[in-house]
Amino acid sequence: MPELAVENITKSFHGTTVLEDIDFTVADGEFFTLLGPSGCGKSTTLSCVAGLEHPDSGTIRVGDEVFFDGLPRTAVPPEGRNLGLVFQSYALWPHMTIADNLALPLKLRKVAKAEQRRLIDDALTKVDMAHLRDRYPHQLSGGQQQRVALARGIVYSPGVLLLDEPLSNLDAKMRGQARMWLKDLQREVGITTVYVTHDQIEAMSLSDRIAVFMHGRLQQVGTPVEVYETPATPEVAGFIGRCNLLDGRIDEESPADAKTLRVELGTTGRHLRVVRTDTAPAPGEAATVGLRSERITLTDRTDAEGDHADVNVLRARIEQCSYTGARFEYVLTIGDLRVHAESAVRHTGPEISLVIRPEDCLLYPRAT
Amino acid sequence: MATQTPPAPAPPRPAPHAGGLGTPRYRRPFGAGREVTIHWLTFLVTAALVLAPVIPVLYQSIRNQPLYAAGGAFTLSNYVHLFTEADFGSIILDTLLFAVLTTVFALAVAVPMAVLLERTRFPAARLFGQVLRWPIYISPLVLAFGWIVVYGPAGFLTSAVREGLGWVPWNLYTLPGMAFVEAVAQVPVAFLFCANALAASDTSLENAARSVGAGPIRTLRSIVVPMLRPPMLYAGLLIFGTAVETLSIPLILGEPAGLTLFSSFLYEQGIDSVSPDYGLLGAASTFMLLTTIGLVAVQARLLGHAQRFVSVRGKASRSRLLDIGGWKWLGFAFVGVYVVFGALLPMAALILRAFTSLLTPLVNPFDLLTLDNFRLIFAYAPYTESIVNSITVAFIGAVAVTLLGTAVVLVARRSDFRFARLLETAAQSPHAVPGLIVGIGFFWAFAWMPGGDAVRGTLLALIIAFGVRALPSAYGAISPATMQLGAELDQAARVAGADWWRTVSRILIRLLVPAMLASFLLIWTQMIREYAPAMFLAGAESQVIGTTAIDLWTQGETGSVAALATLQIAVTALVAGLAGLLLKRKHDA
Ligand SMILES: Nc1ncnc2c1ncn2[C@@H]1O[C@H](COP(=O)(O)OP(=O)(O)OP(=O)(O)O)[C@@H](O)[C@H]1O
Ligand SMILES: [Mg+2]
Repeated sequence: MPELAVENITKSFHGTTVLEDIDFTVADGEFFTLLGPSGCGKSTTLSCVAGLEHPDSGTIRVGDEVFFDGLPRTAVPPEGRNLGLVFQSYALWPHMTIADNLALPLKLRKVAKAEQRRLIDDALTKVDMAHLRDRYPHQLSGGQQQRVALARGIVYSPGVLLLDEPLSNLDAKMRGQARMWLKDLQREVGITTVYVTHDQIEAMSLSDRIAVFMHGRLQQVGTPVEVYETPATPEVAGFIGRCNLLDGRIDEESPADAKTLRVELGTTGRHLRVVRTDTAPAPGEAATVGLRSERITLTDRTDAEGDHADVNVLRARIEQCSYTGARFEYVLTIGDLRVHAESAVRHTGPEISLVIRPEDCLLYPRAT
Repeated sequence: MATQTPPAPAPPRPAPHAGGLGTPRYRRPFGAGREVTIHWLTFLVTAALVLAPVIPVLYQSIRNQPLYAAGGAFTLSNYVHLFTEADFGSIILDTLLFAVLTTVFALAVAVPMAVLLERTRFPAARLFGQVLRWPIYISPLVLAFGWIVVYGPAGFLTSAVREGLGWVPWNLYTLPGMAFVEAVAQVPVAFLFCANALAASDTSLENAARSVGAGPIRTLRSIVVPMLRPPMLYAGLLIFGTAVETLSIPLILGEPAGLTLFSSFLYEQGIDSVSPDYGLLGAASTFMLLTTIGLVAVQARLLGHAQRFVSVRGKASRSRLLDIGGWKWLGFAFVGVYVVFGALLPMAALILRAFTSLLTPLVNPFDLLTLDNFRLIFAYAPYTESIVNSITVAFIGAVAVTLLGTAVVLVARRSDFRFARLLETAAQSPHAVPGLIVGIGFFWAFAWMPGGDAVRGTLLALIIAFGVRALPSAYGAISPATMQLGAELDQAARVAGADWWRTVSRILIRLLVPAMLASFLLIWTQMIREYAPAMFLAGAESQVIGTTAIDLWTQGETGSVAALATLQIAVTALVAGLAGLLLKRKHDA
């Protein structure tokens, strides 16, 4: 199966730009996820790939086959693209049995009766629904409907499978199970998959690569580890996982060649030593430091603050402590900065020390 | 979507991926998907049907000769003639007065009933609610006959009252009398609007008023009634418009008293006069058309607003019905008197009249039982034929209009057809064209069109004209059902490989079957009562029940008119009952 390439697509509704210059390529057999907050344009992108919406400009291709091209204008209708699509609402045809739902795409492709039966059995077996083939959609639970929708999406071996939040109507526990078998199924079928979700846990656990969307723009494309460990922008860092974003300024006296930079945190007079990156701002410039809450170690030790050989130690006040079962979550203040942190043990405060490794700090330039 | 340039035809399809089944292949007539042909066909047919009666009327109004005659010229003299004709001013005034009185009477009866039945503890509220809807299924013509049988100068109750009091406090053959009868026909409209608005509104407002100490009557006055302003306004405009265009009551009650209203003026000019002045008729029709179009435009604007402030919030706070204590019995008397004397008695009397030779309080009607009235109808072939014609026209028409309406809804709501909005507007526009004008317009259109003569005077002409009148109802019956079908159902089919037509035929049509049956039934009941366009269009062989009834009425055959009306009611009830059963069975399955 060939790769799916979405090149520079732009789309606006009634003058509001919804997608701006979206550009990504999904490799053969890859599980590719579009992740982003609600309203950022994920579904619109998927609809453009499916042919249900047309971009204003750009190109969409599968292999050498051009599905859409802004100039000269070409648009293959949805039925000419041979894709599979599963909706959040499942969209099973209510007047047909499960088997008939799966049979329609095969009938449209003039597949012989016996072959139809074989393919339907095959697809339903893959999703463990073969025993319910003669039921109507309204006689199935949400989770079962979701499996049938998936079977309908793969029964005719489409080139690419498109999934728009297929798990979001399931309860939390079901969603965990569904995630696992979805991943297994995708591996087994080996189909190129584009998956839309706003749930970062789904995205992280399922995907080969993730494309992070925000406000109609593509922020970063990378593996789950890349997206989590080295988010391209503070927004990505803030969206994925719990991340403190602290405003500061690069210290003038930072030695130009050192492995680390000193960042002055806001107006607190405190400093944080962070690992230098290629994109780090120059000394004197404004910066944002991203600090994941689970990477902060809390300790009651009252060691002196300031520079240590390999870690930062900052004193903070405990403002709030909440128990979430597995751990305690803290809201802390350093001067006028608020910091979220967590710990397996309970600290009573009122003051506490934060131990932060320079390599755990994410450094971004900040526009002022 | 609507502003996009249509995509160029797809390039030739490459071979399917190895192991895959590929995409289905579809024929591409004219180099584009076949849906393009279907969309344009639907659009052009609808546009032609809707414009066919209107354009000849407009054209004729500015011609000095009949529009099909050679050698005519453009002129404005028809309008000058119309507005300088001595009577025309008083015709307009009378029509206005009639319409205003009708609206006032109908609202005065319907609004209190809606409040009583929807919002207060009322004895047998459900039963009354059902009975109040009945007149919708009975034509105003039949209702007028029923009223004359009971309240006319020689009517049953009139005679009884004259016997008792020595005088009669009412006279149907006056403007207020006519308005009252028309109002009875229109009460269901106002009642349904107000009752639906009350049923859909948020009752927490009322509960709040109760909780700060407002009594039930106070709550009704200051919370419930103000909430009814939007539906009252809308229903009022609708009734006003219907009253302006209605023909039956001005013809049956107004003409004998020398009261000419707008519609009866058109009738006199076009049919009664020996040598009709086509130009004048065209100008008058244009004037009436502009009036009704104006009214419908105002309605459309208001409806847009009204929907915005109807508060539909689910049924979280199901209303506690207000208990208005002793007032309840006053209300009960009001509703009861209206239902019995306004609707039930005239219908019962009309049916009884059909089976008697005379209906008078002086003789026990059961001594005068006879089937002669029916015999007269069945003895004379054209009368019998008119019944068959009505049934045929209504049946074929209802099927055809339901199919066209479904096509229009699907193209307008479920496709990327470029003129979807225009198509929707076109399908709803006959709503603004009075039945008489549809008749006049098609009459001229067939006279004007090459080959039109073959159609004029046949049942086909009636089916087309009645069908155009009914198209908005079909649209209204089917369109809401598509809104309940999520767009994902079509999208899933498209992506799975169905083109637009396959999606429609395999998915959407199947899901719309109940709505189509409901539409069929609605159109059928509407068409079996329809007669106004037939006044102009019907030939000797293509009379319908309504035109035959008017014919018999002018001959003084009251009994046979009653018999004909009884047959019409019976046929309507029979089909409604059968369809009801069918729909119910479908629903249970
Ligand atoms: N048909 C439309 N007309 C106008 N605006 C639209 C239309 N479809 C989507 N939008 C707008 O485009 C933006 C992106 O919508 P989209 O459905 O792609 O978001 P999403 O990322 O899928 O969000 P969610 O996670 O909530 O599903 C939204 O701001 C939405 O309001
Ligand atoms: Mg979405």
